[in-house]
Amino acid sequence: MSSTLASTGFTQEAFDSFLAARDEPGWLVDLRRQAWARFKELGMPARNEEEWVRTDIRLFKLERFGFPTGQFLDGDMPHSLLAEGVELGGSTATRDSANAGTQLSEKWASQGVLFGDLAELAAEHGELLRPYFERRVVDPRRDKFSALNAAAWAGGAVLYVPRRVRIDQPLHAMSALSDGGVDLNKTLVILEEGAEATLLTETASLTHHGGGLHCGSIELIVEPSARLRYVNLQNWGDQVWHFARQKAHVASRGGIQWTIGALGSRLAKVNQHVALIGEDAEAQVNGVMFTQGRQHLSYNTYQHHVAAHCRSDLLYKAALQDESRTVWRGMIKVDRLAQRTDAYQRNDNLMLARTARADSIPGLEIEADDVRCTHGSTSGRVDEQQVFYAMTRGYTRQEAVRMIVEGFFQQVFDRIPIESVSEALGEAIGRRVRAIAEP
Amino acid sequence: MSDFVAVAHPAEVPDPGSMLVEVEERLVVLIHAAGHWYALDDVCTHDGGPLSEGPIDADAKTIACPRHGAKFDIRTGAALTMPATKPTVAHEVKVDGDQVLVRLKSGS
Repeated sequence: MSSTLASTGFTQEAFDSFLAARDEPGWLVDLRRQAWARFKELGMPARNEEEWVRTDIRLFKLERFGFPTGQFLDGDMPHSLLAEGVELGGSTATRDSANAGTQLSEKWASQGVLFGDLAELAAEHGELLRPYFERRVVDPRRDKFSALNAAAWAGGAVLYVPRRVRIDQPLHAMSALSDGGVDLNKTLVILEEGAEATLLTETASLTHHGGGLHCGSIELIVEPSARLRYVNLQNWGDQVWHFARQKAHVASRGGIQWTIGALGSRLAKVNQHVALIGEDAEAQVNGVMFTQGRQHLSYNTYQHHVAAHCRSDLLYKAALQDESRTVWRGMIKVDRLAQRTDAYQRNDNLMLARTARADSIPGLEIEADDVRCTHGSTSGRVDEQQVFYAMTRGYTRQEAVRMIVEGFFQQVFDRIPIESVSEALGEAIGRRVRAIAEP
Repeated sequence: MSDFVAVAHPAEVPDPGSMLVEVEERLVVLIHAAGHWYALDDVCTHDGGPLSEGPIDADAKTIACPRHGAKFDIRTGAALTMPATKPTVAHEVKVDGDQVLVRLKSGS
């Protein structure tokens, strides 16, 4: 056995034991205790809350899970899709929220870059990281899941890049989950002024049909003129419950390109939020989703224009087969001071089965009066004429459908400049596509 | 094919009345109306609303979604009124002694 899990439930006693087993600075323990108090106050989200109306979690039993207290000794790790064939500047991994090792190239470590296990680095570099923790980019009071993660996060990666350090090799972080395991990872990325980095994060189960719980958070802090390329591939087993809040703060002239791949989990409820808080900041958000079986993936995106002269561009594409379901709710929020905003959001859905369902709900909330904000949404089936044409050229029906699905996603793949990422996503999706029934 | 799973005692569900039960990781609304038992997926096909929280009309053999009022035939799951247009899944129910048992529709 490579790790031990204590599924004691999220009780006060278990929380006290969890804290006692960790040697953390007082300020961090205080933050955890505040979040724990909030966790205990809050009930599970009500079904009539707009965010949860289309996502039914009545079958989710929180009491079946508990604090991850395991130590990773050795054992299997899932195969990485994103790191294959890539020359990495560093990598870190967790399994069931336990640190499974880190390496960082001396070239970057010598320039002051910190990368690795969040708990370890928070203990070693507490004074440096404390202000970023205290910024609470993801609000721990927002709901029961965000409070749980803030109180009980364990494992996860931190990347800190000092001023004007430009990392030209991707870094990779893997979070693995054993069947029935618990992952409460928190990811914290800080790019100081003028810094640049590419971080590929990936979640995966040890088995395709593995279950478990992920309740996570991602905080991305992009300081003035910094540039972050961030890829987050969710590839859990198909029985995993996935709850996540993810948020970026982008300061003036900063930029983020944020790509999400969502392939796994039984049910996923994700809030992805980009706040452009300094003038002339920009964000490009890409989403690739493929669902099958009875999967339910719900993504709530929020492009928040706080400052003037900022640009945001979001494209989410989903293909659905079997009885799966996706929900995308997108909002562009433009504050009163955010004049000259240029914002766009689009969601396209390709229905590979009549029994699949995609809910696409774009929204705009604009308080400024000199902006350009547009949005679009499409949902459609595979064009039988295209299938027929491909089959006349010698392709099987499955190959034809696979090509059409690949073509559907090409638009978003073209926006991802990291070749290994678009190739990995394309291959993973291609393997999942089955032939659709003839009409 | 799934097996019958015991989900309730007959006295637990008034007539007319309904009860939310879990059958093999699936939410099912068990319905007792005019002396008969029925079971449907607890999902309104319009917006995913919980049928178990909606009113039953025992004479008309319908259950209505509490969100937007779509009505479903409790015998077949057929969508009878807007805004639902697709049926919800109906499952097999039987009473055996002091147990009400549900068998999920095969392939559902």
